Amino acid sequence: MTAATAAPATPGESTAHDDHGPSTGISNTKLAMWLFLGSECLLFGGLISTYLLYKTRRGPDNRAIPTDVFDIPFTSISSFVLLMSSLTMVLALSALTRGDNHGARVWLLATSMLGGVFIGGQVYEFTSFLREGVGFTNNPASSAFYALTGFHGVHVSLGIVMLMSLFVASWQGKLRPEHSETVEIVGLYWHFVDVVWIFIFTVIYLVPA
Amino acid sequence: MTITEKPVTEGPLELESGREAIAERPLGVLTRPQGGRGWRDWLSTVDHKKIGIMYGVSAMVFFVVGGVEALLIRLQLAVPNGGVLSADVYNQVFTMHGVTMVFLFIMPLAAAFANYLIPLQIGARDVAFPRLNALSYWIWLSGAIFLNSSWIVGGGGADCGWFCYSPNSGLTFSPSHGVDFYAIGLLIAGIASLVSAINLIVTCLNMRAPGMDLFRMPVLTWMLLITQFLLLFALPVITVALFLLMFDRLFDASFFNPDMGGDPLLWQHLFWIFGHPEVYIIILPAFGVVSEVIPTFSRKPIFGYTFMVFSGIAIGFMGWGVWAHHMFVSGIGPISVAAFSLSTMFIAVPTGVKVLNWMATMWGGQIRFTTAMLFAVGTVAMFTIGGLSGVTHAIAPADTQQTDTYYIVAHFHYVIFGGGVLGLIGGLYFWWPKIFGYMLNERRGKINFWLMLIGFNLTFGPMHILGLQGMSRRIDTYSAGFGFEFWNLVATVGSFIIALSVAALFHNVWKSKREAADLPPPGPDPWDARSIEWMIPSPVPEHNFDEVPTVDGLDEWWHRKYGFDDDGKVVQIATAEEAAQDGSAEGVHLPAPSFWPLVLAVGLPLIGYGLIFNLWLCVPGGLLVGMGIFAWALEPVDDPDAPHDHHDDDDHDDDGDGTHDSDDSVGDGPDELALAAAAPATPGDKQGGARS
Amino acid sequence: MSDPVRSLISRAARAAVFSRSGSLRSRAARAAVFSRSGSLRSRAARAAGFSRRPLGLVLGLVLVLAGCAQDAELDTFQDRSETARQINDLMYPVLIVAGVVLALVCGAILWLAVKNRVPADKDYEGEFPTQVSHNNRLEIGWTIGPAVIMTVIAVATLITHVAVNSTEANAIEVQVDGQTETWEPRVVVVGQQWWWEYRYYLTRDITTEDLGKLGEDADWELPRADIVTAGQMVIPTGQEVELIITSRDVIHSHWIPALNGKKDAVPGLYTPWKLEADEPGVYFGQCTEFCGLSHSRMRMQAVAVTPGDFQDWIDAQMDEATMPTDEDTAEYRGMEVFTNYCASCHLVTGLNDGDYNGAETYSGSAPDLTHFAGRTTFAGGLFNLYNPDGSLNDDDLAAWIRNPNDVKENYADDLPEGSLPRGMPDMGLSERQISDVIALLATLGPRPTEAQILATEVE
Repeated sequence: MTAATAAPATPGESTAHDDHGPSTGISNTKLAMWLFLGSECLLFGGLISTYLLYKTRRGPDNRAIPTDVFDIPFTSISSFVLLMSSLTMVLALSALTRGDNHGARVWLLATSMLGGVFIGGQVYEFTSFLREGVGFTNNPASSAFYALTGFHGVHVSLGIVMLMSLFVASWQGKLRPEHSETVEIVGLYWHFVDVVWIFIFTVIYLVPA
Repeated sequence: MTITEKPVTEGPLELESGREAIAERPLGVLTRPQGGRGWRDWLSTVDHKKIGIMYGVSAMVFFVVGGVEALLIRLQLAVPNGGVLSADVYNQVFTMHGVTMVFLFIMPLAAAFANYLIPLQIGARDVAFPRLNALSYWIWLSGAIFLNSSWIVGGGGADCGWFCYSPNSGLTFSPSHGVDFYAIGLLIAGIASLVSAINLIVTCLNMRAPGMDLFRMPVLTWMLLITQFLLLFALPVITVALFLLMFDRLFDASFFNPDMGGDPLLWQHLFWIFGHPEVYIIILPAFGVVSEVIPTFSRKPIFGYTFMVFSGIAIGFMGWGVWAHHMFVSGIGPISVAAFSLSTMFIAVPTGVKVLNWMATMWGGQIRFTTAMLFAVGTVAMFTIGGLSGVTHAIAPADTQQTDTYYIVAHFHYVIFGGGVLGLIGGLYFWWPKIFGYMLNERRGKINFWLMLIGFNLTFGPMHILGLQGMSRRIDTYSAGFGFEFWNLVATVGSFIIALSVAALFHNVWKSKREAADLPPPGPDPWDARSIEWMIPSPVPEHNFDEVPTVDGLDEWWHRKYGFDDDGKVVQIATAEEAAQDGSAEGVHLPAPSFWPLVLAVGLPLIGYGLIFNLWLCVPGGLLVGMGIFAWALEPVDDPDAPHDHHDDDDHDDDGDGTHDSDDSVGDGPDELALAAAAPATPGDKQGGARS
Repeated sequence: MSDPVRSLISRAARAAVFSRSGSLRSRAARAAVFSRSGSLRSRAARAAGFSRRPLGLVLGLVLVLAGCAQDAELDTFQDRSETARQINDLMYPVLIVAGVVLALVCGAILWLAVKNRVPADKDYEGEFPTQVSHNNRLEIGWTIGPAVIMTVIAVATLITHVAVNSTEANAIEVQVDGQTETWEPRVVVVGQQWWWEYRYYLTRDITTEDLGKLGEDADWELPRADIVTAGQMVIPTGQEVELIITSRDVIHSHWIPALNGKKDAVPGLYTPWKLEADEPGVYFGQCTEFCGLSHSRMRMQAVAVTPGDFQDWIDAQMDEATMPTDEDTAEYRGMEVFTNYCASCHLVTGLNDGDYNGAETYSGSAPDLTHFAGRTTFAGGLFNLYNPDGSLNDDDLAAWIRNPNDVKENYADDLPEGSLPRGMPDMGLSERQISDVIALLATLGPRPTEAQILATEVE
């Protein structure tokens, strides 16, 4: 009996030594990322529910809520930018698997820059909201808005840090095609953050209060 | 949570950049630990067994802390108008008792079992991500110490109850820092549990020995796996709640402030969506322990393995649909109440299946009432009482009379203490020889058990009566004349008997250790047990298995000892000594220890203190966390200077096989997976024999 | 379970509870003194109840509980209303089922322990028992079995749940200031740290929707009521009284065990609930949701009186307080003390209602003292206002006024800048001022009857 048959899920190619590989056939790190993202769904679920509950609550002083000052065209553009970054992420991964290190580097940089543009947009949006009198402590609606979009922004920022690390590694010539799974896993995270934003954008900006 | 935890998961990604320029002294601060003996070894270990032991020891320390708090509560309530504690201190003590027992005792004690036993029961050399495992422990410990430090630096413990209902937890009503410590402490501890949940799920799913199908895993591993899934999905919900509470208290938000339009019920929903699965997080590990102990000492296989597993899964799923039964009187409307009342009733069904299956396992068996068995059977009986009183709460109209009275206190202590704690202590007696290489004395163990059983029932049994007589929960005193006097006194006496039994447990540990020198070693399998952790020497060698066993079925180890003759009678085919591994393998390459998990974990409470007292403190905290992550990433998983003859990393590359290679290259986990599972388990010839 | 059987069981169980209960006599006596007409009848009715008691002895489980129910004012099994009985009628059979299951499980464990036991201190030897690993039919059986039991309980639960949550329209006529008003018995119950306020809207119909709206005609965020009292809710017997429960600060829970289960008082929510008392009497309650420092000292009573007495109570409550005019009396001096020290928080209609604008406390409220001496408890139901001999309990009252925090912990003294007291502050009154203000308070009647004083005696 070989290791491969003993553990049915082991990838077919058996190895020289007795490595029987992950039982599920999904590498540990990728599985861990999937589990983590599953957990993240509940985190954003909780925050989105909180926002939905509070989105029209102006408090006793009837102060401004975010919906009063939304600039939908602006946010739509930054959302589009973030969506595009998913595309460049895919391109980065495919370039790396092809062995096109230069392409991978370019697309990684593009992805993190698009993410950066999105974060910049969010910073601009927050400051202009603040100028228009929608502060974090105004009322439950604005607290919930900043908490939800802020948590998402932090996630995007961490994604950018990861992408930049990959970029630096690639720049130093350490990111080789056999590391494509690393890029794939960062990509998983990045796509998740994008998908969450689609939900948030729909729930906060598009569904009327 | 996510903020700090994200890079942790991802940190290893950057490992690549470090691998070629191996940094023996990352950042030039801490020398790469070499393993070995002494405290340094414990601080830097990534061995799941040592981490499990540290979880267990820390849990017992907090058991004493929570127990002292419990005794204070009972002293205060022993007689009417008790004057032991002021109202303010009493509120802090009962809050911290609950928080300590749930988050700092039972959960880590269950984590101790999970860490120690999951890899052994599935035939792995370690967990999937050993360094993350160390990180989980250190983060949990730093959160636990942080939480309790509020007694000293926070102006007292949290005084809002473990459930911390808003708005009573708001700054107006709880102006001391206790609740801040509660929120941030639990957030920190939550990171630990989340990381550990991911780690252990991956371990269960990916690190199983050849042939160890999911449905050949021991019931304990199954229950622990379900527990980890519950943690995975429940923790983010409480994380949201705690963040919002923290924003309210520290940054003047108004999520739970009704004066500003916040909704106090939001907290209750978020808390109990976490809080009810939490109950199963506490109880399922004990169910798993019982499911290992009862078959062993009944000399029969577990009755209805499949039903046991699926009822556990059913409990795990249904546990998500019952949270609002904690809120029957909070004003959620009669329709919701009816729905949650029904769902709660039907969660009794899978639980009942478990109880009956345990009894069926004992049916027709040959029962040896060892201490572990006594605890396991005691767990079944006590949990049954708790489960049945749970049914009376599920009846929503009756619950309006019972909720927030001592009847509830009685109920959940029967579930959590009678079910969870008794079961886990039984597990300690059962696996003690495996873990420490000596047996706990059975006679003293039985004294321990009976003291605990009697003390437990004297303490919590009368609380049923007190509750039905109308004694409210969380009252710091009561007046004479309501009929509460007698049973409160009985409960107080009982609580001191429990304290005595805990002392008996510690005494047993200490005395048995001293006596062990004169006794024969317990051998690999002192109980004639069934699962594969008993096929390796006691205490378990650092590399676990000399060779990773190939598993042919449930109760693999038992089947290596026994077979059936033509008449279907059990015959011994090998003695335990013959069938067991001797632990003689040398040169097994193990993941190298690391100080960085500890460094990272120390940074988190600093950030916590910073948020509460002075934001500048966040700077060193953040620096420590950042340095931990950075150095972690630069630190190669494998230490080239490790003292044992190691298995060179590059070996992995020469298979030239993309699948595995990508595993190797991803970083921490897979590398260690590869190292743990792939390294030559035994001298080559033996290994070949085992494998093919 | 059929109705007769269920009622038999519950009656037996209740009887068993009573049989050990020393409070029964006093409770009967309390009931008696409250009904002006039928004291003998009610005593006789109780006596008749005793004769059926032997049935209760059958129920071992309930006996255990009963053995403990001595003089328990908050005992959930001493139900005194239709709703509380419905709950217990559901609870008893379930307790019995649970008891049977428990007995079976524990019995089986003990039986197995005796029958299958082998020495624990030796290793196994000899033949193995039959290695049974499963029996699907059996296991499906004991999955379905409990499910069936639970289904039966679920159906019974739903029936009772609907019953205890239903309300009936039962408007009664009351005289308010000489006018006849049709009043749907309804009391707005407001919790705050650490006492209960009861608001009666006799001249207007009030709904949960009305309560949420702030307006001109409002005090402390609730519409102005005809009668406001504290600590003791007076209700007419035989009438279902709707409660609308809310809170002014944290979450509390209103619970009169003899009459119904509890319901949380949540700030911002107006939660419907109901109470009904069969017979006149005083029914004790306790806040059951943890609400901070003096949670355990937040108590209340429902005082059920006959409809005739209820009308008398309304008449008395609608009167303004009469103020002393003779400057040489302690009462007059007490009035001055009250005006200087107490009037910023406490309302006495007839004294400071002209310029009263809510209390300077966090909740914005403090007990309305207009008919203070007409009640029999004070400080959140914690102390008797009268001694058993009928004299005013000046000791406790003076101690309370001298330094409230000493006798009932609160957050009212030494507050940080900008925060409002929660509870009554120490006003720093001299002993003379204290006795003067007590003299004034004693006039704020009408004085309760001796019987009422005896019946509400706490501790």
